[in-house]
Amino acid sequence: MLLLQVIVGGLLLGAIYALFSSGLTLIWGMMNFINFAHGEFVMLGMYAALLAAIWLGGGPAVFGFASLLALFVLGVIIYISLIRHVMRGPMLAQILSTFGLALLLRYTAFWLFSANVVSMPETVLSGNLNIGGILVSVPQLIAGVIAAALTIAMHLLLTRTTIGSKLLAVAEDRNAAMLMGIRPDGMQALAWGLSAGSAGIAGALMAMSYPWSPSVGETFGLTAFVVVTFGGFGSVPGAMYAGLIIGLIQALSAYYLGPIYKDVVVYALFVALLWLRPQGLMGKA
Amino acid sequence: MKEATTSKIAWGWLALAAVFLVYPLVFQSAFFRDIGVLLLLAAISASAWNIVGGYAGQVSVGHGMFFGVGAYVPLMVFTHLGWPPLLGVPIAIVVVLVLSVIVGMPTFRLQGHYFSMATLAVAELIRLLVGTWDFAGAAIGLSGPAIPRGWWDLTFTSELPYYYIFLGVLATLLLVTWQVQRSRFGYYMRAVKAGERAAKSLGVPVRRTKLFALMLSAAFTSIAGSLYAIKTGFVDPESGFGILVSVQMLIIAALGGAGTLIGPLIGAIILIPLQTATNTWFGGGGSGLTYILYGGIIVLLARFEPGGLVELWNTYAPRRWRSGSHAP
Amino acid sequence: MRKSSFVLAALLGASLVGASVAQAADAVKIGILFPLTGNAAAAGQAAKAAVEVATDIVNNDHPELSDIPLAKGAGLPGLGGAKIELVSVDHQGNPSVAQQQTLRLITQEKVQALVGAYQSSCALTATAVAERYGIPFVVGDSVAGNITGRGFKWTFRVTPLAADFGDAYMSFIADARKAGKQIRSIAIINENTDYGTSVAEAIEGAAKKANIPVAARIPYSASSTDVSAQVLQLKDKQPDLVIFISYTADAILYMKTMKSLDYTPPMVLGDDSGFSDPSFIPAVKDIAQGAMNRSAWDIGKPGSTSYKINEMYKAKTGHDLDDTSGRDLQAFLTLAEAINRAGSTEPAKIQAALKATDLKPNQLMMGYRGVKFDGTGQNILASTYLIQLKGDSYELVWPFDRTQNKLEWPMKGWR
Repeated sequence: MLLLQVIVGGLLLGAIYALFSSGLTLIWGMMNFINFAHGEFVMLGMYAALLAAIWLGGGPAVFGFASLLALFVLGVIIYISLIRHVMRGPMLAQILSTFGLALLLRYTAFWLFSANVVSMPETVLSGNLNIGGILVSVPQLIAGVIAAALTIAMHLLLTRTTIGSKLLAVAEDRNAAMLMGIRPDGMQALAWGLSAGSAGIAGALMAMSYPWSPSVGETFGLTAFVVVTFGGFGSVPGAMYAGLIIGLIQALSAYYLGPIYKDVVVYALFVALLWLRPQGLMGKA
Repeated sequence: MKEATTSKIAWGWLALAAVFLVYPLVFQSAFFRDIGVLLLLAAISASAWNIVGGYAGQVSVGHGMFFGVGAYVPLMVFTHLGWPPLLGVPIAIVVVLVLSVIVGMPTFRLQGHYFSMATLAVAELIRLLVGTWDFAGAAIGLSGPAIPRGWWDLTFTSELPYYYIFLGVLATLLLVTWQVQRSRFGYYMRAVKAGERAAKSLGVPVRRTKLFALMLSAAFTSIAGSLYAIKTGFVDPESGFGILVSVQMLIIAALGGAGTLIGPLIGAIILIPLQTATNTWFGGGGSGLTYILYGGIIVLLARFEPGGLVELWNTYAPRRWRSGSHAP
Repeated sequence: MRKSSFVLAALLGASLVGASVAQAADAVKIGILFPLTGNAAAAGQAAKAAVEVATDIVNNDHPELSDIPLAKGAGLPGLGGAKIELVSVDHQGNPSVAQQQTLRLITQEKVQALVGAYQSSCALTATAVAERYGIPFVVGDSVAGNITGRGFKWTFRVTPLAADFGDAYMSFIADARKAGKQIRSIAIINENTDYGTSVAEAIEGAAKKANIPVAARIPYSASSTDVSAQVLQLKDKQPDLVIFISYTADAILYMKTMKSLDYTPPMVLGDDSGFSDPSFIPAVKDIAQGAMNRSAWDIGKPGSTSYKINEMYKAKTGHDLDDTSGRDLQAFLTLAEAINRAGSTEPAKIQAALKATDLKPNQLMMGYRGVKFDGTGQNILASTYLIQLKGDSYELVWPFDRTQNKLEWPMKGWR
């Protein structure tokens, strides 16, 4: 029973990892671009949710959507003003730009919201469920389920819709896509919007049960890197499985080996995987 | 014409060397000398990173692992054996050479971002493990000699000896890099950077080149770490292996111009005084303005000068001053 | 680009000119070092605000705080009414920056004394620079044992250190057992940076000496997004007292996770820090009722000196003074009192005056038994209280002979 409890907790958290990592893998796979500021998007999503909960009231539907929208817009703005100009430059300039962006976003949040730890008002959602002896808090359950649904929705969007095919066409071959009448710039802006938006809503879901401060993004950013490499660059289903697996590994190793070893185990497995199967779980060789 | 350019460059380096030699004599204040010491340290680490990250084009985001080993070993031999920290420096170099083979052998089969991600992960792994390892001071860290027992402890009350030691190390590193980039190996590195497939078809031993570049780079990064630990007299997991340590080297090299001899030095000359100045002016207020400015400037440079400040120089400086290799 | 490179060049040029400005002849300059950015920024900012309140107490006439030395009358009478001027720097939680900025404070700003530095790592490197230049450094809140005891002559520490906390917890357990509370075993949950590790080791050592079984010692990373493994461990081991050495976000997360996993130990005892953070009570007051916390700070009854100091701090920051910042405030007042007694801004005279410091409990705003330094510079009269969360504030509950408030045992928690 205890094992099940640990597993459920790990999977619920893993679903959120999967959601924000699918945003990172989207642009990584599509544009071969490493975004060091992705964790900051999650952090900003948390603050956007808090502001929406205070100003607009309402439940997760309201503030989740608000975070999605706010971060989508931010993602598009960042693409147009910065990424578009550095994406075809040297890889170092790309890393430099998003690393600078991460600092800029983190400390702008610091300046706006102070360094103090904040959490969502308790009234938003609370309570516990007891499902056959396994205890789950309502906010965590809702967050995990919505995150899993959204990750699947993202996958469906990419594989089953016209917009998705256009996005993937640009990812496959930019020039060929242009010949087919697709505007790569518009598609890439959309990808950045989706990427930041998914991080934003993941942040909103996370905020329901997790207190945070502006420096929280670093942890999420590193987690997303591991998940994306684990799952294979560019694969949303890969990120989905990898997110769940890493959530699970963390929970199991934290319980059985001790919490300080949970990241040790994750990084060790990560390095081992890079040696054995460098293309990731679902990546193309 | 070519010889004229070469001698211009030589004169430029001599002038730069002269400026560095007299700097602490002109600026006698301990604080300004300390900025000089930190600038040299940053230039050493970034130049060391530049060998593999710039010339060979293998972008490491985990060089903190070499820096950290370099910082820890001297303080470990001091703490546990009572030896002068200096004796730990060669031991650290041996350790990082082994470490770079362990990291490099498997990952250099791969291309592109995999190496970056692997180095990032290994550095984090080591940071976490050192944080739980009591022999290495665990989370609390290790201290150097608080009060020097003799000159060989290299615990000076003045910044001046540090300055000239660091300057000597930097000069050595730049000479080595200069020799290497002129050699056949230097040509191999540039070929690998330009494209691995093409390099292979030209008969370049791609994996071996990448591995040697990493080993050379790691050895000098380790020395930078040792210098840091001896000068600061303290290291903990974050200041040795932290991700910011790794990224700082990358930023400085990329800012100045990765893959050029002078790039990392330019990056350090710009960034270290900038960091100090913004922290000195805005840090005390506590609004985070230091990092808003710092992040903003990095973004602007990446946006407008993706090749680093060396490019800026080549674009705007009078034609006859430009370095030969970049001339149109 | 030309424009931004121009800005860069201007910044660079100006940075070499230095920022020191001529001072009014008789002001006493004191440098304060805290982490104002980075992960510990919230604590550093609070500490800075507390020291600013202390400066206000010294510099301006505060007859209502007459127990506190220097509160009455403006400035330092021993120096002809000279005022104290603060120079604040941000060491970013980076030991190398702490070293560099200490150097700047001493050689550029020409400060006569220093106070800092929150993280023990930064206190270690900063005090070494002060030692080299012979400038007194008063450590307000860093608790790692090895800051004092390195043979330094210019480092003074007012706060109790990790070992003192361990001893305090053991005497509390002994007292509580005498009062009929059942404490068969304890558990220690600590964040794994220098602070958590040194305090946890001290507690574990003290428990061993006092023969109190430690059911579990669980280190974890404060940036964890999930702490349910730790709570499940506790649920399994059933300790009677759980001591948390935690920062803020993780402390809040523990309280929430205990609720969601349907677990309340008989008592939770927070080791200051996260449990004292101004964000802690608003976030968990409904689910952490009765949780205890270590503090040498007690706001006290309206009208008391400590209450008035808290009002000053609250007017400045919008929240109550916490223990960590309180210890910095006390350190600063201790330094100011010594400078006043020295009657000089000469470092050697300040050092001599610090060595001769002998403050009585009624002269302090913190609950120490006094301030008196031993040969290593450690305050031998430093001590601590334990407080308990009742409603939306903490109440003093231990030492039992110092308070009328009743210790509620077991804690109510979220039930």
